[in-house]
Amino acid sequence: MNSINFNEDQIDALKEFMNISLGEATSHVAELLDAFGTMHIPKISVRDTSELKEIVSESVEASLNYYVMKQLFAGKFGGECIFIVSEQSANNLGTHLYETDNPDKDDINDAVMELTNIVTSSIIGRLTEELDVQVQFFAPVSSFVKSFDIADDDEMAQYSKVIVVSTELEFKDHNISASIFILTKDEAINSLKELIDKKIEELYS
Amino acid sequence: MGFVNLKILVVDDSKLARLSVIKAVKNLEPSADFFEAENGAIAVEIFKKEMPRVVFLDLTMPVMNGYEALVEIMKIDPDAQVIVISADIQPEARERIMLSGAKNMCPKPINDEKMQSIFINDLII
Repeated sequence: MNSINFNEDQIDALKEFMNISLGEATSHVAELLDAFGTMHIPKISVRDTSELKEIVSESVEASLNYYVMKQLFAGKFGGECIFIVSEQSANNLGTHLYETDNPDKDDINDAVMELTNIVTSSIIGRLTEELDVQVQFFAPVSSFVKSFDIADDDEMAQYSKVIVVSTELEFKDHNISASIFILTKDEAINSLKELIDKKIEELYS
Repeated sequence: MGFVNLKILVVDDSKLARLSVIKAVKNLEPSADFFEAENGAIAVEIFKKEMPRVVFLDLTMPVMNGYEALVEIMKIDPDAQVIVISADIQPEARERIMLSGAKNMCPKPINDEKMQSIFINDLII
């Protein structure tokens, strides 16, 4: 694990906060799908945004298409959450939510958008709650792209670090999995480190 | 309260989470003896050796998860007092661990108020 500027305790704390956040997200998605979700241990790393293309390529199949949802959030810990769902997972989601064997593209997009909104707001909302800070969410935007176009975006150049959350949202009877990346700037990473240190200090006091 | 030799096993793969539990317990039981495990397999071994009065158990852990560890611990001691502290807040997760013999399930993160409620309502010390 590459833990740029983060020490072992800070990564452990970030992993634990993310675990709590994912627990809430899983619960909300389970409600949406009316199915039990199995939680997996998230793998957390903090990497340079310049590595994003490589990082993304490790979590997707080169030959497949993906729904990519991006949601900006602003505040003391600000950035952009990228949620990547394979076409097959998105179809499964649309099929389940719209109770049809052949959901159309708009329905699938709408279903993925709803899933994204729930997951990113749960993750970022819970994470920032744990850190005692507020963030404002902006409307998510979606695209349907080939795997190699996922990280090929000039907008990502404005970010310096990416918090990679490798986990799986696995739901009984529904083959739905997704990847989550949180893009941040240096000042947000520094704020995050300060907030984590404050939390750790509180525990040792 | 103030019991002597109250052995408590805290099981979580996160050091921060273990510290949070230990700190919350210490506020109620300053003299408690703590044993820590970072996965279910280590927890089961410590449980066999130390037979702690209380186990605080996470669910999502490497090597052996909390569900499996709970089953093993209940086989060793059907009267074991296991409190699951987990980020998994789904009703089905709760149902599953309660059926396996846990005393209760508490959502993460733990705090003094939740710990006090556990000591008052769930544990026999």
